Amino acid sequence: MIILSVNKSLRLIELCAVKQFTSYRNFSLTSVCEAHKQAGKYRTTRNRSRPLTYEMANLPTTIAHYKSWNSWNTSCMFEGVRPAETAVEDEFIRKFITGTWHNLFVSEIIIKRQYNIIRVAGIIYRGIQQRKMYFLIGYSEELLSYWLQCPVKLELQTVSSRKDVIFKYI
Amino acid sequence: MNCIEHENISGEFRVFDVRSNKRKHAHVQEKYTRPPANPPREKIMPTDQDWPSVWPGPRTFHPASVPLTVRQGMDKNQKIAPPSKYANAELMKIPNFLHLTPPAVKRHCDAIKKFCTPWPNELDTDENINKHFPLKIITNDYCYSSPKIRDPKARVVTFKFPLSAMTLNNHAEDKIKRLLGERFNQETGEVTLVTDRCPMRRQNYDYNMYLLVALYYESMNVEEWEAEKQEEDMEYYDWEKNPSKKAYIALKYWPKPVDEIKIDEISLENDEKAQNYKEAVTDLFNKGETTHNLFKYKEAVLKIVNDEFQNLDVGNMCQ
Repeated sequence: MIILSVNKSLRLIELCAVKQFTSYRNFSLTSVCEAHKQAGKYRTTRNRSRPLTYEMANLPTTIAHYKSWNSWNTSCMFEGVRPAETAVEDEFIRKFITGTWHNLFVSEIIIKRQYNIIRVAGIIYRGIQQRKMYFLIGYSEELLSYWLQCPVKLELQTVSSRKDVIFKYI
Repeated sequence: MNCIEHENISGEFRVFDVRSNKRKHAHVQEKYTRPPANPPREKIMPTDQDWPSVWPGPRTFHPASVPLTVRQGMDKNQKIAPPSKYANAELMKIPNFLHLTPPAVKRHCDAIKKFCTPWPNELDTDENINKHFPLKIITNDYCYSSPKIRDPKARVVTFKFPLSAMTLNNHAEDKIKRLLGERFNQETGEVTLVTDRCPMRRQNYDYNMYLLVALYYESMNVEEWEAEKQEEDMEYYDWEKNPSKKAYIALKYWPKPVDEIKIDEISLENDEKAQNYKEAVTDLFNKGETTHNLFKYKEAVLKIVNDEFQNLDVGNMCQ
């Protein structure tokens, strides 16, 4: 019996080895890590009342499949320059925009870099007067350009209701 | 105490009329209604408008400016329709080429056409180009999405040219190959000079140019010690300086003794058999004993021997 079981396990190991060599070598996680994955997940409610945007409705693992990145730059390419600086600057822009446009952004803040130009895009709620919006656009562009030492452009889209960006309720 | 005295006070105590107080101070606040937003611009766009004027440069997608019914996004369960272009952040993320429509590209090309000169007719084929411009100068420019415009890798300058483009004699060609070392590709006969030692591209270019000139003149120089080179020092087989040539000439001029003839003075340029034999022997020594080389050697030898035997008086030989 013992010999038989050893043989079985050996065959299993063989099969595993064959599978490992034939398939791609992926990043592997233990089942414990898999079970406790929390980031980017939202709890469902009993009455399906939790609103989710398209960005929230798709898990971080679906980036490049169902949704795309919020930061676009060449820093993370092979031999790209200033990866750390770019990440910190992006975080700074996000914090500044969130605070300046208080409670107005209904989407994630998208930061796209092209040459030395930084484009900040997003969807805002028409919660304030037009002239205040124009002021805030100029204010944000001017201050960010001064701090980051490169032209910054705000390219915004407005919605009349916060519900416009909701993709589904869970 | 904030109370109002009524005019018709009756009795001992004053009456505090709450209702009248409220009535007096109440004023209806008009509810502010936001003026309605204008309808999106795409609704009033004419169909024959000039699109490059509407979207002249790179810009984030804006649904009200683009009269296309595009959708982006997907529901995994296929229960919800893909989100429309309004309030769609996915469309704003992806780079668009709405400013690079064919008419816009054509307009750009027409605008810069006046700065271009026609291509020279003489350089119609690659052969002609390589013949007249053998030197290739290769540099790389790097473009990043960052405020930094310089990249240290942009300083590297590469020169490429075929060695045959240089007018060199036998000695100089041999010497320049030694000087170049691995920078010379034996198979393609191409020389590659890569310079990255200076901080700026211009400096590296100048240094490469200097290297080119120095290599040429250095290979042309014949040093005193180069005359001391013996046959044993040769790195390759030279038929002209080897006993093989002597043997061939001895056979050719037989029965004259070889010593009488000055071997160096005899030119075998026009002797086809000699050239074949020379090539076969040289290949055998320099490129190795492959089947092909051995066969070539055999053919060359047989040709010489057959011809010489036919020319010779067999009776003479027998004596």
